Amino acid sequence: MISTLRYHSYQHPSPAPPFTPTESSILSAALRHVPSHGFSTTTLSLGARDVGYLDISTNLFPRGVFDLVNYHLVTERLRLSQKVDFSKFEDGTKRLSTPAKIRVLCAERLRANSPLINRWQEALGLMSLAGNIPASVSELAKLSDEMWFLAGDDSHDMNWYTKRATLSGVYASTELFMTQDTSPDFEETWKFLDRRLDDVKSLGSSVSNISSYLDFTAHAFSNVLRSKSVPFF
Amino acid sequence: MANRFIATALPKQLRLATRVQYSAAPYVSMRGLASDASAASSSSAEKVHPPARPLTQKERDFLESAIRVNQAGELGANLIYAGQYAIFKNDARLRPLIRHMWDQEVHHLNTFNSLIAKHRVRPTAMRPLWNVAGYALGVGTALLGEKAAMACTEAVETEIGGHYNDQIRALLEMVREEPELLKRGELKELVDVIREFRDDELEHLDTAVEHDAKGAGGYEFIFNAIRGGCKAAIWISSKV
Repeated sequence: MISTLRYHSYQHPSPAPPFTPTESSILSAALRHVPSHGFSTTTLSLGARDVGYLDISTNLFPRGVFDLVNYHLVTERLRLSQKVDFSKFEDGTKRLSTPAKIRVLCAERLRANSPLINRWQEALGLMSLAGNIPASVSELAKLSDEMWFLAGDDSHDMNWYTKRATLSGVYASTELFMTQDTSPDFEETWKFLDRRLDDVKSLGSSVSNISSYLDFTAHAFSNVLRSKSVPFF
Repeated sequence: MANRFIATALPKQLRLATRVQYSAAPYVSMRGLASDASAASSSSAEKVHPPARPLTQKERDFLESAIRVNQAGELGANLIYAGQYAIFKNDARLRPLIRHMWDQEVHHLNTFNSLIAKHRVRPTAMRPLWNVAGYALGVGTALLGEKAAMACTEAVETEIGGHYNDQIRALLEMVREEPELLKRGELKELVDVIREFRDDELEHLDTAVEHDAKGAGGYEFIFNAIRGGCKAAIWISSKV
C-alpha cells in the first residue's frame, strides 16, 4: 500500500495544496455543471468559461475528466477534518468510541457525494479505467487513512494495514450502493453502511476470539510441560 | 519447539507493554484529538510549538523512514531479549540482567509506537517476519550459551548504535541553518529521544562486552553474520 502522508508534522506547515489556484478555480466551477452535464469534457469547458478562461485551457488537465473526479476526491478528503465535529454527538461525559467516529466520518464523506450522486456512476466508471486505477486506489487508501487518523486510531502494527484495508472495502461498497439508492435522505445507504461496519466488527471479534483460544491452549500446554519438569518451561 | 516459545513470550511482552508507560509531556494525545474544537489538530499543537518552515519532501521522506525503521528495530530488539529471557529465566545471574535490558527496550518500543501514530507514519509491513526472526535469533543464540547470546547483543547494539548516530547526524544537518529548531519543537524531541536511546543501546553493548561476548565460540562468525542481518533488516524496514 502506498504511504499516504509522509511524516505528519504539527509544527511545520503541510506541503502546498495539490492544485494550483487556476486549476482549483476551473475545476470547482466545473463541478457545479456536473449535475446537468455529467463528467464530460463539456463540463470542463463550461467550468473554464465560468471563471473567464478559454475552452482550450482544459488542456491544463492531462487526464481530462478524471482530473475533475480526482479534484472532488482530494478536496473532499482534505475537507473532512474541518467538517466533522464529534462534539455534536457527545454530551459531556460520554465520548464517541472509535467505531462510532468512523461511522460519522464515513457518512460525512458520503454526503459530500450527494450533490453529484446522479452522475457519480460515471465517476466510478472513470476511476475503474485501467490507467486511472492506481490513482483511484491510492486516493481510497488516503481517505481511509484520514478517517482512521481523525477517529483517533493509534494502531502501529499489522492492524494498521487490516484496518485501512477493511475500511476501504466498506467505504467503496457503500459508495457504490449509494448511487442506486432512491430512498429519502439516503436512509437505505446509512443502513447499508451500518450493516457493513457490523460485518467488519464481527470479523474482528472472531479473529480475536480465535487468538485468545490459541493463547489459552498454548498456556495450558506449557503448564502441562512445566508439571512434567521439561527443561526451559 | 520454537513455535512453542513464541506462544509464551509474545503475550508476556504485551503484558509488559501495558506496564511501562510512555511519558513525554508535550505530545498531544492522539485519542480525542479530532473531538477538540472541530478537529483542530494543527492549531492545538501550534500552541505548544511555534510554527516553523515547511519541511521539504526529502526531509519528510527521511523522517518517515527513520521513525518506521526505529520502531521496527526496537521491535526486533524486544523480541531478541524476549527469546534470550525465555532461555535464561531460570538463571539467577542472567535473569535480572536481561530483564533490565529488555525493560529499556520496551520503553523504546512504546515511544516509537506512539511516534508512529502521532506522525501518521506507516508501520513496517515486514512485522510478521521480524516477529519470527527476532525471537528465533534470541532463542537461538541463547541456546548456544551465555557468551553467544552476549555476542548477539554486542552485534545488534553495535549496529543500532551506529544507525542512531547516523540519524542524529542527519537530523542535526537538517536544522544546521536554524538553531532555534534544536531548542524546542518536534525535531528537538526526536533528536533527544534518539540520543537517549542510543546511550541505552551502547550501555547494553558495554554490558555484553563485560560478559565476555568476545569469548564466544565462533565469535567472528556470529558477530558479523548478525551485524549483516541487522543491516539488511534496517534497509528493508526503511523501505517497506
